[in-house]
Amino acid sequence: MPLPRADAKTPQMADVSPPTDEELVAAARDGDEVAFSELVTRHKRRVLATAARFARDDHQMDDLAQEVFLRVFRNLGKFRAEAPFGHWLARITVSACYDFLRKERKVREQVSLDASVLELRDGRIEEAVAAGRARELVQWGLGRLTPEEQLILTLAELEERPMREIAELTGWSEANVKVRAFRARQNLKRILENSHER
Amino acid sequence: MNDNPDPELEALFAAARAEMPDTSRVEYAFETRLTARLRAEQGESVFAWAWRLCPFFAALALAVAWWSHSTQGAEVYSRIAAEAAPSSEELLAYLTGDR
Repeated sequence: MPLPRADAKTPQMADVSPPTDEELVAAARDGDEVAFSELVTRHKRRVLATAARFARDDHQMDDLAQEVFLRVFRNLGKFRAEAPFGHWLARITVSACYDFLRKERKVREQVSLDASVLELRDGRIEEAVAAGRARELVQWGLGRLTPEEQLILTLAELEERPMREIAELTGWSEANVKVRAFRARQNLKRILENSHER
Repeated sequence: MNDNPDPELEALFAAARAEMPDTSRVEYAFETRLTARLRAEQGESVFAWAWRLCPFFAALALAVAWWSHSTQGAEVYSRIAAEAAPSSEELLAYLTGDR
């Protein structure tokens, strides 16, 4: 697919009402850089909010969100507009986050954890909550789960998405998602309890 | 949503949810960085394809060299055979074992 041109006209210039996502996708597919940029501007906050749940720092968050939009760009031709663009984008986001978690797991197996995170291991759950470090503790605990468990717990517990939606986003069956979520919660609980019993 | 409610875990998740991650720093000039990466990827793709095609062209060059060598050998052999035999009948008789 050729790189979008900056000089192409956007639908916004022709119509008074703002173009729909589907119109912007069609324009971007025809090489309109401004239309693609508008799509990114509209949806970047949502993508970044999801990426932030998985990333450890701003750099990772930026990289992950960029990967999502790169996949969107590469697959613009596959978007059929049968479902809203937001749903399609959410599936791509979840897929990119899952791949990111799998890569991260390999890195984690090779690199030891930094001291600031290790410090949290001795803190109790209530203390972490009271100290405003719940997110850090959850991220530390999730980091010890499998990528599948991390993904499901993040989507279910931190993003509060229903099981049915998670099943649609991941492509796993709803029953499978429920079982994995149940096991993931148990594993996380065990990890957090073991960490402060030491 | 939760099939196995655990008050402690629930409190932890609720507190973690409440801590909204700050994305404002990454939002700044995000489109510019993305466009730069897209351009870099487009530029790289030509070299990447050329690099990926290297083994194919190497194999093709080897195949052409082998074919050239083998046809050259056959040509030399047929020239020697033609010169050795004064006529095609004589060569045919030699090859069929009549002589």
